[in-house]
Amino acid sequence: MTTESSVKNDTDALLEVRDLTVTFQTPRGPLDAVRSLDLDLEPGGALGIVGESGSGKSMTSLAIMGLQPRAARRTGSVRLRGRELVGMSEADLRRVRGDRIAMVFQDPLSSLNPYYTVGLQIEEAYRAHRPGVTRRAARKVAIAALERVRIRDAARRVHHYPHQFSGGMRQRVMIAMALSMEPELLIADEPTTALDVTVQAQILDLLQEIRRETGTGLVLITHDLAVVSEITDHIVVMKDGVCVERGPVEQIFTRPQHPYTQALLDAVPRIDDEIGELRAVAPGAVVADAVAEKNGGAA
Amino acid sequence: MSEPLLRATNLVKEFPVLGTGGLVRPPQRFRAVDDVSFEIRAGETLALVGESGSGKSTTARLAARLLDVTSGTVELDGEDVTTLKRSALNRFRSEVQVVFQDPFSSLNPRHTVERIVTAPLVYQGRPVPGGARAFTRSLMERVGLDPDHSQKYPAQFSGGQAQRIGIARALAVGPRVVVCDEAVSALDVSVQAQVINLLRDLQREEGLTYLFIAHDLAVVRQIATRVAVMTQGQIVEEGDRDAVFGAPSHEYTRKLLDAVPRIRPEWERQRRANAARASEVQFGAQA
Repeated sequence: MTTESSVKNDTDALLEVRDLTVTFQTPRGPLDAVRSLDLDLEPGGALGIVGESGSGKSMTSLAIMGLQPRAARRTGSVRLRGRELVGMSEADLRRVRGDRIAMVFQDPLSSLNPYYTVGLQIEEAYRAHRPGVTRRAARKVAIAALERVRIRDAARRVHHYPHQFSGGMRQRVMIAMALSMEPELLIADEPTTALDVTVQAQILDLLQEIRRETGTGLVLITHDLAVVSEITDHIVVMKDGVCVERGPVEQIFTRPQHPYTQALLDAVPRIDDEIGELRAVAPGAVVADAVAEKNGGAA
Repeated sequence: MSEPLLRATNLVKEFPVLGTGGLVRPPQRFRAVDDVSFEIRAGETLALVGESGSGKSTTARLAARLLDVTSGTVELDGEDVTTLKRSALNRFRSEVQVVFQDPFSSLNPRHTVERIVTAPLVYQGRPVPGGARAFTRSLMERVGLDPDHSQKYPAQFSGGQAQRIGIARALAVGPRVVVCDEAVSALDVSVQAQVINLLRDLQREEGLTYLFIAHDLAVVRQIATRVAVMTQGQIVEEGDRDAVFGAPSHEYTRKLLDAVPRIRPEWERQRRANAARASEVQFGAQA
């Protein structure tokens, strides 16, 4: 009885990460790139993970998918609709990745193979997860996916190579590939960082629209506070591998509790206002505080 | 109004298109900068903003004489510097210096800070005032670096510190104009704020003039006196910062400003009000 009800509770959440830790062995001893991180995402929700370089945000996204470097050790729990991904066999994991969870990275050019047409790449990815699907059917899926992300003349564009697309269009291709499998969860790691601001706006609109229409859950990893403020509903602020603050987006932006979050928000240059003196973020015992707090110790 | 310190008139830069042309037929030419004119007065910051491929960086390189113009003129203090060579070009280089985007790729990894920041003087055959060690220490202090680290290598510094070394190197020759080509774009937001503050302080204290190239409009808002918006090799709008941001007249400028993601102003107001209240409470408790 009890197990049954707890399983039910678990499946309510789309993504449930508990105590996720990624450790590297270094000559100076073990180093945690991510330490004791918890994440929760409801179906159709959008979670923003923000942090500066070295905060562990990208390692988090890789570790969710089990894609952390070989030299790293991952512990903790990652559940997708209640299904534990940590400790799952590589074969099972491969079925989950790309199918149930899809990922979009910062640099679409290095994620696409320059020797194959984009159509073929979408089709191959699709057929790898849907054995028995014919080439013809996969081609239809590829065209529909490109149309989804508003690439005009998709039936002709499937025959084009990655270099024939602009940066923004390539990112659309990546999103199309990710969506062709109708994943439950899309993890986007700095998806617009390499793009011009007008193109960024289009891609962010597209991600919003996809979420609304398909109910795909979104984990957005970025350094850009303005971007997360616009498209996510919950935020996790990371620094040095730990979560220093979490909460609904409005709460984080109006009543930040942690000094690091406060300093970070102070440091963001505003387009609609000149700040007298930009306050710099002071390095300090941020991490020790956060860990002590999490461990329940009165810091 | 004083005379402009740096003036660019009808700048044009064309590049040959690879794979076109033959033995007799000249290659096709791509016009990266198409009839661009601007003026910067002493102590001002002119920001050139635009998206990738707008020609803003090429324009900056023409103004700094890192590239030769196809046509047009660059004047410094009324003197035509467009075709200067050798020693005259060295004199120009001690007036106009450049800070680049990526501090690590623009600093020689095998050279110490001391060697990096004194290099411009050495190349120009000028003596290092007060000796290399003392000169480097004072420069490092000016840009907020620990002067005891003058014998370290670039890799031993963080990104923000490395960019400070880049700024120190630019200041070594005592320039009047500093061209900042996406100088804070690669930095984390907290570090970016520090470097923007440093650039502002240097301008206030030493009267530096900046040509500031950036794609980030929020950064430009923090540092520019005047703004010129570029697209497809041309300046489509130019004016005082607040005029351009407050009442953009060109359609492209409006499109660019609309596209910038922003934190809701009402959230920002609430946050500041909450922060002010919190510090009052704290102050009250301590009293």
